[in-house]
Formats: sequence, C-alpha cells, structure tokens
Amino acid sequence: MNNVLQLKQLTKTYGDFAAVDQLSLSIKEGEIFGFLGANGAGKSTTIHMIASLIPITKGEIEVLGKNIVKNRRFAKSNIGIVPQEIAIYEDMTAYENVRFFAGLYGLRGALLKSRTEEALAFVGLDDKHRSFPRDFSGGMKRRLNIACAIAHRPKLIIMDEPTVGIDPQSRNYILESVKKLNAMGSTVIYTSHYMEEVEEICTRIAIIDHGKIIAEGTQAQLKSIITDQKTIGIEVRTMEGLNLEKLSGIAGVRSVEANEERREIRVSSDAEVNNLNRILKELLADGMEIRAVEERQPSLETVFLTLTGRSLRDN
Amino acid sequence: MNIWRIAVKEMLVSRDVKMLLFMLATPVLLMLILGTVLSNAFSGSQAAGDIRVLYISESGVTADELAAQAEAKGVILEQASSGMEESLREVQDGSYTGFMMIKEAGIHYYGNSRSKLENGIVNGLLTGIAERSKLEATLTELPNEGGAAAAAGGNAGLVKETLLEGSPRPGAMDYFAIAVTTMSIFYYAATAGQLIDNERVRNTAARLLAAPVSKYEIFTGKVIGNVVLNTLFVAVVVFISKYMYDANWGSNMGLVFLVLISLIVFTISMGLAISYLIKGKAAGAVIMIIIQLACLFGGSYFQVVDNGDFISVMSRYSPLTWSNEALVGIIYGNDSGELFAASEAILLNIGISAALLAASIFIMRRREGL
Repeated sequence: MNNVLQLKQLTKTYGDFAAVDQLSLSIKEGEIFGFLGANGAGKSTTIHMIASLIPITKGEIEVLGKNIVKNRRFAKSNIGIVPQEIAIYEDMTAYENVRFFAGLYGLRGALLKSRTEEALAFVGLDDKHRSFPRDFSGGMKRRLNIACAIAHRPKLIIMDEPTVGIDPQSRNYILESVKKLNAMGSTVIYTSHYMEEVEEICTRIAIIDHGKIIAEGTQAQLKSIITDQKTIGIEVRTMEGLNLEKLSGIAGVRSVEANEERREIRVSSDAEVNNLNRILKELLADGMEIRAVEERQPSLETVFLTLTGRSLRDN
Repeated sequence: MNIWRIAVKEMLVSRDVKMLLFMLATPVLLMLILGTVLSNAFSGSQAAGDIRVLYISESGVTADELAAQAEAKGVILEQASSGMEESLREVQDGSYTGFMMIKEAGIHYYGNSRSKLENGIVNGLLTGIAERSKLEATLTELPNEGGAAAAAGGNAGLVKETLLEGSPRPGAMDYFAIAVTTMSIFYYAATAGQLIDNERVRNTAARLLAAPVSKYEIFTGKVIGNVVLNTLFVAVVVFISKYMYDANWGSNMGLVFLVLISLIVFTISMGLAISYLIKGKAAGAVIMIIIQLACLFGGSYFQVVDNGDFISVMSRYSPLTWSNEALVGIIYGNDSGELFAASEAILLNIGISAALLAASIFIMRRREGL
C-alpha cells in the first residue's frame, strides 16, 4: 500500500511553545486513521498544517508522495476537510453550498452538477437541494458539512470531530458514511472525543500528547501495551451508599469510576493483584446489592488514560 | 474563475429580503424627508441683509450719494472693479444679487432670476436713485419672456430691469438625491468591515483556505462581489430618485456612475483596511465613527457652505465632499467642467482605495488564515 500522507519531523511553534513537536507519521491508502488527543494536545494544529491552513515551522508533509509546500494546489485538490465547526453558508441553499465548494476544486459544467447531486445524495440530503441550512437540524447541518468536503472526491478526507452535538441517529448515519467513503477508496483521518466511535471505525490509531505521538498502531496493538492492568465492571441495583474513596484505598486499585446512568462501577487495577473479593466485600458491607461482575480487557479509553494521564474528554 | 465564483457567492449570501428592503428603503425615505423638509433652504434666495449689488456709474451720480441711499434700503453697493461682462457673470453664479449700469439716460438693472424678493427691494432703491438724480432718459422697452425680463413698476421710464438666468443649481430634492446616495454608499464600509470577519465567524474561512484557492483570489473575489452588489443597490436608489422624485441626475449618467462606483470601491477598501488594522469589534466602532463624521462634514444631513468655519474647513477632508462636488459638477457644469470634476474625484477615490487595499493585503499576508 502506498502512503497517502507522510509527516516528517513536523513541528509548529508559537514563540517558545511547541504545539507540534517533531511529529512523524505515515498513513496508508485505504486506512481509517484515528487521531486521538485531549484538547491542546496538538491534534488540530497538525490537521491544520496538513490542510495548508497554517504554515509549517519545520519538517515536511507529503500528500500522495508530493511535498505540500512545493505542490500546494495538488495537495489541496486531493484533500477534503470536514472542519470541527459547521462551515457552511446559511444563506445559500444546500445545493448552492456544495456546488460552490466543489467549484473551487476545479469541477465545471455537467460534472460539477452530477458531483454536487451525488454528494447530497450520499449524505441523505437529496430531497433538500433548495432548502436553506438555517432551517436544518444540527445533524443535517453536519451532513451538509460533510457533503461540501467530498463532492470533489478527494483521496484523503480529514474529519475533525464530525459528530459533535448531534443526535444518535445522525451520528450512526455519519459513521456509516465514513465506512462507505472508505470502501469507495478514500483514506480517512478521523478525530473524535468519543472513544467508542474511534473503536468502531478506525483501522489504525495514533495517540498524540504535548505535540508528540506517544503510541500508534491497531486497536489490538495499542491494547497490548497495557498488559499489567485489568478492568472490573460491577453492576449494582443502586449507587446509594457507594464510597469511592474506600474502594480506591484497596491494594492494587488504580482508579474507580461510577456511571450513575448505567449503575455501574468500573475499577482499574493491577493485573497481578487478586483483589476482587476484597472489592466485593467492601461494596456488600456498604449495603450495596450486586447484580453482575465482569472482568474486562483494557479499553482504548484505559490505554489513553494510562499513556496520557488524562481522559480524552478532559480540557 | 475562482475569483468570479467567490464574487457570485458574495452576492448569493446577501439574498436576505428584509435586509435588502431596509438597504433600499432607508436612502429612498431619507431623500424624501430631507428633500421635502429642507426645500426652503434651497430656494436660491439670500437673506435680505445680504443683498449685494455691483454697479458701474457713467453718470454724475457720486458713490457717496449712492451709498447713502443704498444703506437706507439695506443694500450693499459695490463698485464693479471689472467690466460689465464679468459683473454679469458674477450675478449669474449667485455671488451678487444684481448689477446696475447707471447712465445719464437711466439705469439698467440686471438681477439674478432666482432672487425675486431681493430684486423687489433693489427696485425701490433704483427708483429713488433715478428720481433724485433726475436722470432723463426713458427706457420703456422690456424683454418679453421668462429668464429674460420683468418690468420695474411705476418708474419704467427711468429704470430698465433685466432678469438674468442664474446658473443652474440643485433644488432640495436634487441635492439630497446626491447627498443621501453617497451617504448610503459610505455606510457600506460598515458591512465591508465584516467581510473577512464573517468568514471566520461562519467557520468558512478554513474551508475556503483548504480549497485550491489563494488568499488573493478570496480577497479579490469578495471585493469584486461587494462592489457589483453595492453598485446594483445604488443604481436602484438613483433610478428611484430620478423617476419617483424627479431628482436631477443630469444627462451624463455614465460619468455619474463612474464617480459613484469609485466611491463604492473607496468605502469597501476603507472598511476592509480598518478591519485588518484594528482587530475585533473595535474595528466596527471605529468605522461607524468615521462614517458619521464623513457624513456630517460631507454635507449629507445639511448643505455645508464654505464660509471658513470649523465645519466648512473639515468638510474638505470628507470623501463625500469631493464626491458630491464632482457629482454636482457633472450634473450642473459644462462639458469640460464635468470631466474635470469627475476625473479628480475618481482619481482620489481610486488612489486612496489602492493604498488601503495594499495595506490590507500586506497585513493579510503576515497573518495565519484570512
């Protein structure tokens, strides 16, 4: 497989602060590449440099084997970006929006018309050609946001948190769309704050922190990094009486999280310490009614937390 | 091609019917209100205390005799330093109320046709001079038709009065058709100040920059789109004032529109430059202050008379002054005068615009993003 994108010692500094610090990465044709990082990790800066939105301080970016600084128009023509914020004109119809942006990529005449219609159909807005986005729901705007990025059929699509603030139905639609785009031949870079989305669609993942890639690989490869840790999920009838501090004090326990909605307690612990009986005993002593206990493989969230020391959704 | 696409996009995003109606209704209504309410200020008359009359005396009547009689009537008499021809021209352009040629045979008075009230007052003076000086001749022949002449009451035997057609001047509606149109153009600076900022707010700046389009194409497309859009608006306003209010826009509409377009380019460049020089919402405030001052000193709300006071001194620096003067020159001047007036204003507007756009591009080049 050929490299669609290659970053070589990529660096971006603002004064003394390095937002991206000698970052190197290769993304191959046909991948859905997950880009994970907490806010301020350098993820958006990297994406902005790839999309030529901001200049590179040092290093090199190659798109389809060509340096983007020397071949700016070629690189831009082969990239489609779905920005984190909805980037459409509310006073232009859905059709006019897609047509305008596709036109900037050199499409003309009948081809422009057919690609515009295809893009709108792809995101399920084929019956909304003449509608104005100001009348759309959040999910529909997000879908139009995607249509504007794909009408010119880019080889590389960058999706920066494309599912923020939308309903589960639209989210599923978008995730399915990403898979379809990938099946049609596009390589996708996908960033999200929703770990389950990344787990569902990404074939390879990089975790970025403080401007550097700290781990990279398939999901299995990343999870295998955490061999010394186990996760125990305990479902209870009610959270009443739960004492998180007491559980955290048990030998081997690294962290305890309570999910009120699912009435579940998640305990991350050293794999080698046998402390399940003690944990259950403490819960029973507090009068809690245990319904199910499950020992789980480390999740991507656990991997992320372990490597970066913070949750993906931390600010 | 991309420049044109961006220009068309600028027009498409402005299809807000409410905004369009507001942009059209405001100048059209303002013209009607100011043109009607302030019509008296444009009658062409001077206040009675300001009646100034030139004279040449070829009779035995002395300057002192004349001055004494004129003072009693509240008329300022000034002996003409140049010849009769030059004096008549000064009457026609409104510098003086009239000119009188005093001969032994009688007095021939040439009054400006716009100063009817003042001519009546001068008429009383003429009778007095003629009778006291015992001028002998009888001048009974009077011109017939308008612009030409009117009889001078009961002393027709000694005084002949000729009314000279004054140089054409704008009436209230004519003046405010020009002043309000140029003022509404100047207000485009406020929207121009948000041209780039709007792309940032809508987040479309990133998408535009990610496309294979240069910053210059985006910038140029936006400027052209807004110039075309605003020219269409101005054309509608001009034609409404011309056909609904009967405002005089002259016979050379091409030259009129060239001046108006140059002012549109100027205001858009000014709005853009200020939005680049001053970041954030402060830019909007600065633009609004400049607009208000330019309109005030530029004669948008009332006609500024050049009498050396603070407002008339400041008015020289308002782009609206030189644009309005150019338009008045085109509409009411002669062929050579109108071309000069237009070219001067167009060169000023375009020259300053070029400098402002260059400053904007310079700042844009140094910026990340638009």
